[in-house]
Amino acid sequence: MSQPLSEFTHSAALTLGVELELQLVSRRDFDLTRAATDLIDSLQYDERFGEIKLEITESMIEISTMPQATVDGIASDLAGLRETLGMHCARHNIAVCGGGTHPFHRWPERRICPGERFDNLYQRYGYLAKQFTVFGQHIHVGCTSADDAIWLTQALGVYVPAFIALSAASPFVDGVDTFFQSARLNAVSAFPLSGQCPPLADWAEFIRHFSFLQACGIATSIKDLYWDVRPKPEFGTVEIRVCDTPLSIEQASSLAALAQSLSRWLLRTRPVLHTGLQAHVARYNKFQACRYGMAAMISDPVALCQRPLRESLLELLETLSEDARELGCEHWLKALLPIVSNDAGDAAWLRARHLAQGNLNDVVRETAERLLTQPTHKSWEHS
Amino acid sequence: MLENLGKLPRLLWESLLERLIFLPPFPERIDSLALFSLLLVVGLLIGEWLHAHARWPKVIGYVLAGTIFGPALLGWISIEALAQARPMADAALGLLMMEVGRRLDLSWLGRNPELLRSTLSDIALSFLLIFAFALLLVGLSPAWAAATAAVTMASAPAVVLLTVEESKAQGQVTERIILHTAIGSAASFVAFIIVLGIVHAEHSEDWLNALAHPLWIAIGAPLIAWGAARLALGIAGLLPKRSLAQVFVLIASALLAVGIARMLAVPVFLTLFVMGILLASRDRHQTLRYTQLPEGHWLLAIILFVIVGASLPWQDFTWLTGLQALGLLVVRAIAKIGALAWSGGSLPLPKRLLVGIGIQPLSATAVFMAYEIASLYPEIGRSALALPLFSAAIMELAGPALCRLALRKSGETESGAASKGGIA
Repeated sequence: MSQPLSEFTHSAALTLGVELELQLVSRRDFDLTRAATDLIDSLQYDERFGEIKLEITESMIEISTMPQATVDGIASDLAGLRETLGMHCARHNIAVCGGGTHPFHRWPERRICPGERFDNLYQRYGYLAKQFTVFGQHIHVGCTSADDAIWLTQALGVYVPAFIALSAASPFVDGVDTFFQSARLNAVSAFPLSGQCPPLADWAEFIRHFSFLQACGIATSIKDLYWDVRPKPEFGTVEIRVCDTPLSIEQASSLAALAQSLSRWLLRTRPVLHTGLQAHVARYNKFQACRYGMAAMISDPVALCQRPLRESLLELLETLSEDARELGCEHWLKALLPIVSNDAGDAAWLRARHLAQGNLNDVVRETAERLLTQPTHKSWEHS
Repeated sequence: MLENLGKLPRLLWESLLERLIFLPPFPERIDSLALFSLLLVVGLLIGEWLHAHARWPKVIGYVLAGTIFGPALLGWISIEALAQARPMADAALGLLMMEVGRRLDLSWLGRNPELLRSTLSDIALSFLLIFAFALLLVGLSPAWAAATAAVTMASAPAVVLLTVEESKAQGQVTERIILHTAIGSAASFVAFIIVLGIVHAEHSEDWLNALAHPLWIAIGAPLIAWGAARLALGIAGLLPKRSLAQVFVLIASALLAVGIARMLAVPVFLTLFVMGILLASRDRHQTLRYTQLPEGHWLLAIILFVIVGASLPWQDFTWLTGLQALGLLVVRAIAKIGALAWSGGSLPLPKRLLVGIGIQPLSATAVFMAYEIASLYPEIGRSALALPLFSAAIMELAGPALCRLALRKSGETESGAASKGGIA
């Protein structure tokens, strides 16, 4: 049954919302476990920091913050959600952790959550639904108008490799090192409506495009569009969907700071978009970021050359510092610098722990400890 | 005529023996390995058949195989053969008990104190109600009523583990069934040790046994378990985690503990259970935490349940004892379900009740404990412990089905999940 596209809810400019899909693991062997519905059923929580929700399989849980004007607000909500979830998980003897993939779970063992929507997804996508037990961070940026949302969706598309490389936290799949920094997006790519938003000029054109998809029977609701960046009319936001769930909520907050500063800078300077040309290189650039992280070589379809992602990201962080200062999130943005210059990202940390421990069970155990550990006083600020 | 026919192979063999010098004397008993494989195949076939045609848990099939072919019915498994197969049953039960001990996560009780309340009420209510039933309604003496309560108060770890494994169950009901079973077993072992002293005090003129026997077990089992666990962790620490070599070390240490416990007349189930707890709690560097027993060890469980089935004293069955056993099981069920209904640690009431149903099995450890106590004073013990043995006999068949029902109703099994629409 096709659902008509809802009206675009106008949000305050650059408000933020963050969703994190987290892993529910057994404390015995740190493999994924079936726990989500039991956890939700017994949750005693007044939603003061946002929501805790089911995701497609029983081994996943999603936390989403309240809409916030600042990254500090997001960080505070995430800390509250982490504490609440940690407490309830402890009562159920399960652990919770970040990361884009579980390093060694066996996807056939996953169970789809009860509910009509999840059941429909399983019927439609078959085993892909179980393989979709991957964990991402979604960042919502508020837009004051529907046209701005479509423009920002297009403009942010160019920076998809940057978000992928900065958040990459899924080097292991099925118990092996994939050589990817973010292997999670390979699971998403299998879905027919994944990829980039096509070149669209404004909201009216987006409505026409979506009606066309509905008429062809390809999509019924906007939830069917698994685009890397997509408008979310009911929230009045643009949603960046390519990040792996980081290993800490502080890193998740830093990525939100990047999204907010970058959106401000883009909306303020309105650079010329070459959406048609970008569409030709988008998949290649995305692959480069997933595979090589900061060492990716990004194709520029306008200058007709390749540039190291690390180099352009260092420039970008420098460019955004003024906007970040204005938004009060400069300290969060600065925390991303070591990842760019020293390869100190989550994928590197996971590989280092694997090297030290010699097995992936202990890596997940340490990952779970890392999520629940609160950093020492603003250590992230100066790291 | 038939008797003569039966003697024919022996006569033929002995006539050949004079000419064929390589032939051994006519085998008086079946070889242990041959017996092992026969029990395995027969148990497996009946278990698989019942599972495929009636969807019954396989454990029921294994027990039925033992009951049908055991001394009580067809007699194909003789009492001597049972004694011969006992080391294998001990090894199987030992490995299963070690697994239950390894899964006992006492730190969960610290994180969820409500669970402590529910498990303590399960233990206390089960013991007290069964004791009162045996003493007041059945008319057993206080010592034998206490023995009956100690033997039957806990759930059956082996049945629970096998049923969970068979249904691929995963979730809170499953985890809590395992936790309650493990803690209940620990409590029943403590009660068992105390009861040993009481039984000696009642029947022996020498008070020394009343003190020394419980102490022998209370000190012996942990000591053997501690030594074997230290050995396993020490050697495994030198090997790569989750390696096959670690699996061998784990099994070899467990079998060593089984052997020493048998040599020193310390109950194997208790020793290996304590060893499992020590392996989990002393493993600070996660040396063996992720090392799992190979799938093949479940084959040993078939032998265990065939032997348990063959050990059940159906030949002594009377309708009165049967009714008393049913009464005990009803009282026990009320205690367990009531305890879980009263308090269950952050789980909704329907799921708590399912946990109560899931911990109903009563099996191998109860039978072995009963025989352990009965063997002390065979002339009295055998009849005095007919009640728990028949209760176990009934539950051998009903217990796995109840446990499976609880897991299925909770939606935590693979098949149960599928019936809810695509949740596989």
